[in-house]
Amino acid sequence: MLKSPEWHMLIVWYFFLGGIAGGAYFTAAIADNFGSSRDKNVIRFGYILALLLIGLCGILLILDLGTPSRFLYMIGAFKFWDPMSIGAWMLGLFGLFALVSSALSLSGDAGKASLRRRWGLVGTIAGFFLASYTGVLLSNSALPFWTDARLMGALFLASGASTGMAAISLLLFLSGDAAGEGFKKVKRADRFAMVFELILLAAFLALLGSAAAPLTSGALAPLFWGGLVVVGLLVPLVLDFVGSKAKALGALSAALVLAGGFILRYVIVMANA
Amino acid sequence: MARTLAMFTDTSLCIGCRACQVACKQWNELPMEQPVWTGSYQNQNHFTDKTYRLVRFIEKPQPNGELSWLLMSDVCKHCAQAGCLDACPTGAIHRTEFGTVNINQDVCNGCRYCVSSCPFGVVSFNHDTGRANKCTFCNDRIHNGLGPACAKTCPTDSIQFGFRDELQAKAEKRVAKLREMGHKDAQLYGADTKGPLGGLNAFFLLLDKPATYGLPDKPLLPQRNVFADSLLSVGAALVVGVGALMAFRERGGTGDGDA
Repeated sequence: MLKSPEWHMLIVWYFFLGGIAGGAYFTAAIADNFGSSRDKNVIRFGYILALLLIGLCGILLILDLGTPSRFLYMIGAFKFWDPMSIGAWMLGLFGLFALVSSALSLSGDAGKASLRRRWGLVGTIAGFFLASYTGVLLSNSALPFWTDARLMGALFLASGASTGMAAISLLLFLSGDAAGEGFKKVKRADRFAMVFELILLAAFLALLGSAAAPLTSGALAPLFWGGLVVVGLLVPLVLDFVGSKAKALGALSAALVLAGGFILRYVIVMANA
Repeated sequence: MARTLAMFTDTSLCIGCRACQVACKQWNELPMEQPVWTGSYQNQNHFTDKTYRLVRFIEKPQPNGELSWLLMSDVCKHCAQAGCLDACPTGAIHRTEFGTVNINQDVCNGCRYCVSSCPFGVVSFNHDTGRANKCTFCNDRIHNGLGPACAKTCPTDSIQFGFRDELQAKAEKRVAKLREMGHKDAQLYGADTKGPLGGLNAFFLLLDKPATYGLPDKPLLPQRNVFADSLLSVGAALVVGVGALMAFRERGGTGDGDA
């Protein structure tokens, strides 16, 4: 006789947007450190997207508490073994990383670029954390399916990466920068993340066995198989490989990846809603 | 820490009078709520934000076809290793000097992580206050030498309050006696401090298997995998990071990565 925490749409949106924020940030930071000046827009879009989304994430979480000022109570404790406590702290820290990186990405100054790279490399850790801790948070609760999902954090991380990269590529496309090298590279990274996410998802289901029933055979199953696996992962991968020359197909694939990332958080949260 | 206090609920002595439930409501000023049809005399399916003590009425078929009652006054277990306490990000859920687990209402921010982290589904979310609540072990009473209201009011001593070690010894004697009397399924639940969750500070004597009362056979600490799950996430981060690095790395010397 367990109880649901009654986490609904605000939390689904937070898990989804937090994943994109983390993914966009570490993608930008990796492009910043290991790419070239041709990736300038990937870097800029990634950092700024992360900043905007983390602001939105904060608002979503505060709204979920009902009484906004109570968010401050999180600062009264620091429990490094507790995903929720460390998550609240890292949310703030990630915001700081995204803010400084965004500000530095607007300048063309070489000295600032070098500082931005080093800053981004450290911030990458916060980005990886933000994209994955929400999964670890769920898998360390007492509720069925969640509590058995050993790879939830890893899966959320892969999804954060694929959606963060998809969001950057979509922004590049919409801003008319799809012809550049940056678009090609972020799509390449995204394909890798998607393939990895598919592999993780298969391992996730295999490890869960019958505990995965709420996803694989319940009321959420059509959304899980149709929305996430087919429309959110398989179709975008096919579009990417078939239409690697057509930028519009690449953009469509990115939009589908984003939809899949949302559906992933939705079906998992709603399984115990 | 002071000597650990406990409640021992001996279900073999429960007569289902619900005096404990009423005393709890009264002392904690818990308001009225809609009763739920449970198929028996039980008035709620489970603990709510307004029911901290709940007498369970379970009808068990006998070999002769008739039904017999199993009665159990259920309550927060005040686990020695408490999932709700570990989950609480604000420190509102804390262990008192008597070993009980309490929610400081002024510090709770309503995140509900504790609700999903109780292996017994005890903690409830109060939509009126926007905060989580549960049995307080009558924290105000035990600090004034009164004992919890439920234990105080129990007319058959089915609920006993005292020092944990003394109550455990008493419970062990009682279960041995009941077995002797022919109650072959009589068993203690949560009495052993070396058992699941480090022992429950509100423990029980049951006349049937835990599952019959809706209790998990072997309750587990939800946070037991936090390290492993985090390591798996780190592994995934490395794979994703290397993938992105390979995608962005400039090949064939055309890059200007150091610019």
